[in-house]
Amino acid sequence: MTNRQQQTPGIDFAVLTLKDALDLAVLIEEEARDRYEELAAQLVLHRTPGAAAFFAKMVRIEELHRKQLLEERAKAFGEQPVAVRREMIFDVEAPDYDEVRSDMTTREALETALRSEEKAHRFFVSVLSHVQNPEVRKLFEELRDEEVEHQDLVKKELAKLPDDDRFARVDVGDGPAPQ
Amino acid sequence: MNAPVFQAKDYKSELKPIWCPGCGDFGVLQGLYRALSSIGRPPHEVAFISGIGCSSRIPGYTTAYGFNTVHGRSLPIAQGVKLANPELLVVVAGGDGDGFSIGGGHVPHAVRRNMDLTYLVMDNQVYGLTKGQLSPTSPRGLETVTSPFGSLEEPINPLLYMLAYGAGFVAQATPADMPGMTALIEEAIRYPGFAFVNIQSPCVTFGEDDQQLKAHKAKQKSLASLGHDPSNQLAALDLARAYGTELYTGVFYRNPSPPPTYESLVKLRQTEQAKKARPRNQILDAYLQK
Ligand SMILES: Cc1ncc(C[n+]2csc(CCOP(=O)(O)OP(=O)(O)O)c2C)c(N)n1
Ligand code: SF4
Ligand SMILES: [Mg+2]
Repeated sequence: MTNRQQQTPGIDFAVLTLKDALDLAVLIEEEARDRYEELAAQLVLHRTPGAAAFFAKMVRIEELHRKQLLEERAKAFGEQPVAVRREMIFDVEAPDYDEVRSDMTTREALETALRSEEKAHRFFVSVLSHVQNPEVRKLFEELRDEEVEHQDLVKKELAKLPDDDRFARVDVGDGPAPQ
Repeated sequence: MNAPVFQAKDYKSELKPIWCPGCGDFGVLQGLYRALSSIGRPPHEVAFISGIGCSSRIPGYTTAYGFNTVHGRSLPIAQGVKLANPELLVVVAGGDGDGFSIGGGHVPHAVRRNMDLTYLVMDNQVYGLTKGQLSPTSPRGLETVTSPFGSLEEPINPLLYMLAYGAGFVAQATPADMPGMTALIEEAIRYPGFAFVNIQSPCVTFGEDDQQLKAHKAKQKSLASLGHDPSNQLAALDLARAYGTELYTGVFYRNPSPPPTYESLVKLRQTEQAKKARPRNQILDAYLQK
């Protein structure tokens, strides 16, 4: 099974309508927003403030993208019901849960975001080879290109960081609570 | 396409998991929410029963009924819950230590009684909560705080145990394959009888490198891709022997004709006995006649 089939099991991109494609794109951003929110909360709990703050910033960015897509959707299709469901997508742009660690640095958090943007880019490249509807194609091409722009933004942020922002694991050692 | 009545997020509670960031249990929890949403039972018709351990914290993270019970006792308590209210969808969740060490004696009896329960073991081959001691599924040679020179014991094989005890549904999953794991959890819940899923859920704090999700991604082989027929119990036993060396995912065994569940037999017995109800002072006579 390809990554694309794993990330969106059961979706046939050859027959996807523009409305469903837009709704799918909204859900992809929503999933990423929620995941970053979860990861930020985990890192706050484990006192890893640098990475937590960066993930919180990602929450705002993904929410912004979601809102932009939602507006586009509302303009084109108004109140028409949504047919795609959040349960149809798995970690398209959202970082995998095992990307994070309690001792991760801000640099590692940025690298996680970069990998996630690259993953999303690969996803759009892969689905584009199946899409037939020209409007859907145009939308996915835009989204694919935006993923490259996002990667560049993260790379710029990475370049601003000091070379070594690592701290000793013992400083953040925060074992699970005994019962 | 109609939207489902319950979405995955409806099963998620307000409590934030305190697992170590990166723990495999996060993926398992997400898969569970999704499986429940596909099944569509409202949270108040679902109960999660667990023992003690990191993995046993699952009930608190759901909006369903939950009981984070005593170490190793999730199965007896879950059976009580199911018997008291057979309409409830009961999911038992816990760790390899909870299920196969202190709770190991309960497993064969829960299996042979065959209540309609789903037992999800988050097998990380270690005691996570108590900071990394040997567990019954730890590989031979593993160095831990309780085995500084390496474990001298063979690990138990949960898949073989369950098959040998006669479980009607035995599967293995990993959160390295989220859609596959979610589908297996759903299938296990839908199986009408005792269903077991061994979920290889890595402990990022005390687990070995070759037990992490990245290693799983490289290593896992689906039983379907091997052409395995899940109704073939002997083939399932043979494949299950590879536990600890191969990472097979999918359904090892699914009884094609599930036998009646214990709760359905109890109901039948109650109906039969209700017809010949005895006066209170003669109730013990049923035992004296034997
Ligand atoms: C009766 C009793 N004995 C021992 C303990 C200590 N204890 C708590 S959790 C645990 C083992 C947890 O391992 P596992 O079930 O594999 O769960 P994990 O934390 O790895 O998910 C032990 C020994 C306890 N709580 N109660
Ligand atoms: S100790 Fe291991 S099993 Fe427990 S929460 Fe941390 S990573 Fe997960
Ligand atoms: Mg364990």
